[in-house]
Amino acid sequence: MADSPEEIKKSIRLYLIIGGALFVGTVLTVMVATIPWMDIGGHGFDVWDMILGLLIATTKATLVALIFMHLNHEKVWVYWLFGMGLFFGAAMVALIFLAKGDPIHYDGFSTGGQPSAVISE
Amino acid sequence: MEIPYVVNPRKDTGLFNSKIAIWLFLASEVMLFGGLFSGYVFLRIGADYPWPERTLPVLPGLINTFILIASSVTVVFAWASLKMRNWRNFQIFMGATVLCALVFMGFKAVEYGVKFKHQAVRMVDFTMVEGHASYLKEKKDGTDHGDADHGEGDYVLDLDGDKIAINQHVFAVESASFNLNRYYKPWLEELLAHAEHDGATITLAEKMDFNAPGEEKPELVFAKGEVLSLDLLEAIADAYKDNAVRNATARKKYLRAAWEIKWADVEENDLLGEAAFAAAYPKGFELEADERKLAYTRWKAGMRAKMAQDVSIDSVKLGNGDSVEVLIDGVTYASRELPAPNSASFQSDKPIVVRHKGRNVITDYKPDNTSIALRDGTALTGTYKPSPVDFHEVDGIDFQHLAMDAEKKNLDPEIAIENSWLVKENPVVADLWTLHRQAVGQLEEILAKKNRVPTEKDRYRMGWQEIAYYMDAIEAHREQGGEGLPTIELADNANAPPKVKMGLKEHFMGPNYEARSFPHIAIPRAEILLESKFTPKWNSYYAIYFTITGLHGLHVVGGAIVLGYYLFFGRRMYLTNPEWLANRVEVGGLFWHFVDLVWIFAFPIFYLM
Amino acid sequence: MSATATHDEHHHDEHHDPGFVRKYIFSTDHKMIGLQYGITAGAFLLFGFFLMIAMRWSIAFPHEPLPGWIAMFFPEGWEARWLQDGKLTGDAYNMFGAMHGTIMVFLGVVPLGFGAFGNYVTPLQIGAPDMAFPKLNMMSYWIYLAGGLIMCGSFFMESGAAKSGWTNYSPLAGIADGQIVNQWLAGQTQWLIGLVLLITSSLLGSVNFITTIINLRARGLTWMRMPFFVWAMLVTGFLLLLAFPPLEAAGIMQLMDRVAGSSFFMPTGLYTQAEGLLEISGGGSPLLYQHLFWFLGHPEVYVLLLPAIACVAEIIPANTRKPLWGYKAMVYGVLVLGFLSFIVWAHHMYMTGMGPVVSTFFQITTVLISIPSVILLTSLIISLWQGSIRFTPAMIWACAFLPMFGIGGLTGLPLAFNLVGLHLHDTYYVIGHFHYVVAPGILFGLFAGVYHWFPKITGRFMSRTLSHLHFWPSLICMNMIFFPMLTQGMAGFHRRWYNGGDSYLAVDPDSANVFGQTVAEHIDLNIVMSYGAWLMALAQIPFLVNLVWSKFFGRKVGSDNPWNATTLEWATPTPPGHGNFTTDPVVYRGPYEYSRPDHDEDFLPQWIEAPRPADKPEESPAAH
Repeated sequence: MADSPEEIKKSIRLYLIIGGALFVGTVLTVMVATIPWMDIGGHGFDVWDMILGLLIATTKATLVALIFMHLNHEKVWVYWLFGMGLFFGAAMVALIFLAKGDPIHYDGFSTGGQPSAVISE
Repeated sequence: MEIPYVVNPRKDTGLFNSKIAIWLFLASEVMLFGGLFSGYVFLRIGADYPWPERTLPVLPGLINTFILIASSVTVVFAWASLKMRNWRNFQIFMGATVLCALVFMGFKAVEYGVKFKHQAVRMVDFTMVEGHASYLKEKKDGTDHGDADHGEGDYVLDLDGDKIAINQHVFAVESASFNLNRYYKPWLEELLAHAEHDGATITLAEKMDFNAPGEEKPELVFAKGEVLSLDLLEAIADAYKDNAVRNATARKKYLRAAWEIKWADVEENDLLGEAAFAAAYPKGFELEADERKLAYTRWKAGMRAKMAQDVSIDSVKLGNGDSVEVLIDGVTYASRELPAPNSASFQSDKPIVVRHKGRNVITDYKPDNTSIALRDGTALTGTYKPSPVDFHEVDGIDFQHLAMDAEKKNLDPEIAIENSWLVKENPVVADLWTLHRQAVGQLEEILAKKNRVPTEKDRYRMGWQEIAYYMDAIEAHREQGGEGLPTIELADNANAPPKVKMGLKEHFMGPNYEARSFPHIAIPRAEILLESKFTPKWNSYYAIYFTITGLHGLHVVGGAIVLGYYLFFGRRMYLTNPEWLANRVEVGGLFWHFVDLVWIFAFPIFYLM
Repeated sequence: MSATATHDEHHHDEHHDPGFVRKYIFSTDHKMIGLQYGITAGAFLLFGFFLMIAMRWSIAFPHEPLPGWIAMFFPEGWEARWLQDGKLTGDAYNMFGAMHGTIMVFLGVVPLGFGAFGNYVTPLQIGAPDMAFPKLNMMSYWIYLAGGLIMCGSFFMESGAAKSGWTNYSPLAGIADGQIVNQWLAGQTQWLIGLVLLITSSLLGSVNFITTIINLRARGLTWMRMPFFVWAMLVTGFLLLLAFPPLEAAGIMQLMDRVAGSSFFMPTGLYTQAEGLLEISGGGSPLLYQHLFWFLGHPEVYVLLLPAIACVAEIIPANTRKPLWGYKAMVYGVLVLGFLSFIVWAHHMYMTGMGPVVSTFFQITTVLISIPSVILLTSLIISLWQGSIRFTPAMIWACAFLPMFGIGGLTGLPLAFNLVGLHLHDTYYVIGHFHYVVAPGILFGLFAGVYHWFPKITGRFMSRTLSHLHFWPSLICMNMIFFPMLTQGMAGFHRRWYNGGDSYLAVDPDSANVFGQTVAEHIDLNIVMSYGAWLMALAQIPFLVNLVWSKFFGRKVGSDNPWNATTLEWATPTPPGHGNFTTDPVVYRGPYEYSRPDHDEDFLPQWIEAPRPADKPEESPAAH
């Protein structure tokens, strides 16, 4: 942990660079969403824009967490404590979506195999 | 007693207490925002209507992102300054951080404020109209706004001195019946104020007498014609509640007495016993012992249920068929029941115009509706005035939901739009729509060269920039003496329907209504399915947007208060124990970075997707 | 911690006179806060119990007015408003039902187990002077109290209290109390505000607990020397910390639905009898609420359970005079339990139309979680084996906990399976199952805890006679109440019938209505259960008398360690003063060193220095 004044002095530059990177990342996010030739996937918003946007956001978030929040050289306890939040948060979201995406399909009795109703929730 | 490891880290964990605590807290915050963001995705995936994508102006969000990132940098610097024991720098950087928080909240307030003033309507055919609701203007009779004119003139002010927006339900009240349990005082006050303003008198429609039979307390008699006031209605409600309580107590006693009679009868004559069972159900004795026991259980349960029908407050039917009156002190309940009507009716000598927001009115609008129920149980009689939602400036017309609905019904969306009320009844919208279709047609061709297609939003939504563009084009065309409609020409590299360029102020405050022209449309109440400002009520996008950004805003405020505390009240601790203060700032900074982290996700999700 | 000069005096002088308010009301001392939690939670438990007593009358005798001994507790105006001819209306019953569940879970058992026992015992057992953040601890209590009062205060509003079940499912909860103009004053909204406060309180509490346990352990108290109680509190802390926020999110969203008119959980086209087509945007997802609710809801079960099982795990070794059997297995068991409890929640939702893949996943995890539960229970039972058991008041309750919780757990197994779950969903079987876990299970464990630590708290023993008068009727009544529920549930009795099934009854014994006949055959059990519940109330009187009487006139303890126990809380003075320990405690060995062959006495406390040089402190004989 960069606790001694000398080490902190050294990291000032790093903080500035990261700050700059965050600015660049933000501008980049806006550009891919608004400038036509940077619009990947189909025209307008689609899943590729979403993936790219979230990718940039995740990168930025990781930078903040690693450098500003000192997670790059933190005690192992902190990894456990915060990691648990991340893990269970992810588990919750994933399982909710799994449940959402796994509906009962009711194929009907007398429609000759044609679905007569699909219960999606 | 001292708590250890407040300043210095414990050896085996390497952490001081508050650092563990803040990381635990952040873990729980991850779960909180995880829940909210999963709510967002759930709502978006499950939406049964077109999700309003990329609907907010990006610039304010972008600036706010910059501000938060900057504050994240400054808060690290503030901590570093403390670590290097440089109080002056700490003050500068921490001050900058707190300032950033304030500016952030300022922009947020502007963004919210614009939305809270922006009117929207979902029509019964799922057309969405957005815009600026106009205010009621002075007319000669000063009351009716069914056909408010929109020329110059002074606005009608309501009794609080505010302009009256034309988006409310309007009634001319002739009589009103109040629910004495839960009439809503502020509405009553409003009604009275209107009556006073209109010079009307509201009086009790019928005499109300809360005296017990044979009693004559004058304070419990309310004569027909007494003038409605807060005090009067309160006195009536009090009298009613008093009587209701006494009735309830008496009813309880009588019912108890009735059951006592019944149970005495049952016990005396053994009405639930085996013998009674045998008499009532001779078949039971042909059954096996187990079966018979079961049949007896069933019969007994059935008998007990039947008994309940024999018992009432007034009389009890005994097992032998006789009926016994229930008396307490030789008196029946009916003869001592106190009058307790739970509503009081009043009438006015002339119609009083009152306005109510949509949520307050339970009755659906019909032009010939003469009785209106309000949420507090008040029943109004009179006239349901036309109550349109009047857009002085329509700055958004959205057929996406209509088109989706049409496709679901296997109809051609284009025809459905042609047949919608908005296009059919409003020539100006028909013109706009024609131009828009022209533009979309060209856009389709241009995009086809790149193997792309216009989005649903391109096709079916005219935002304010498109509307302003078409309006300008039409105006220019007419000024040059052109007949019919102008033709729209898209540039070869066009990527969207044509738009006017957004001014700097318009990024923040929405369209400049004075400089640009927009159509004016009044939508009749009968065509309206849902009417709302751009608030959480309007759709689940705004609901989740306001909830997440609002909660995030609360975090910003909370963080700023804590950091501000260190800034303004940290000096003493800096002098006595600077390491402790540095720890505190580090912990506060961790929270601040987390707030930044949330925004890093919230910004693209709400502004760019 | 700057000046060493204050170091000498702070032990004895400074803290003796903090003034009445600082000492008893706005106290930052974990012991006083623990007692405050205990007393408040006890009061809420009594209130929740009373609601149930009134409900049980309506179930057993739906057509008869409440008797005087129940009705006398209702204010007259309230009675006139919510009772009809002295009988509970359906609305009032719903209100009581919803609030009974809410009060018992959120305001009663959790604060009693985690707030009271956790606060009082945990810092003592780890040799800490207090919690890591005493002021936060105090705040946590006051926020809890405010939340509880806000929830219960709504009984006296025009709307009445919340009435959509303790789970508060939308859209029912979203439209309830719609007749109220100012939604902030509707019981249903107050419930949400109260809930958000309670969650905030338990977040503060759990952060405090975990930090304390991680950072404030005494010298020598390594992880595997921690008493099981502390482990259980650590896991409980994590459950509260991570499971509650999603419910807070859900609560906030539902609050928005109510006061801002949003449609987070309100589906499109919602139509009610009172208002017709609702004026909302629609497009929300009622199922999302259920997911977020049960994401808390299931870990919450273990938040209820773990403190109780923790108490029992302390009491059994101390009274069998032998080490806790399988200490390590129990520790790993409780960790696995905590982990798994996060991923089983949707077994509450089999009826919502989940597909086979997800159902199977949740069935598997649900069955898996019974493994650590069985490890815990079995270890406790085996701990009895060959012990020289002292049947102290605490021990009889702990012994009763084992089979009662066992019944609760085993009756849960069928519910884990989708197929059976569909049949038993929302029946009295479910009620019977989880009440067996909570009432004769968890509450018995907590009662045991009260009897066990009372001498440490007050310096006096509780009366043995009164404790038996409390125990035996309670044990009998508990089974009288809850066992018939299992029967009724399998017969198909729905859990929310306010008249106990009277309207489904087939009056004619020959009726072809099979369900009506089934109801008729089992409806008399209602009366048995109700009498059980009312007698149960009587059985609590000896306990209340015991608490007060023993505080002032009970037999005084002879030493600081009256049970000859081994864990650190018995090393403190009786009652412990501010700062707890007179000297800094040092721990030399595992927590349950009873009947060591190499030691003369049958217990070797953690804080006693090694009796012989050969005895290495690193050894942990507990885990043999």
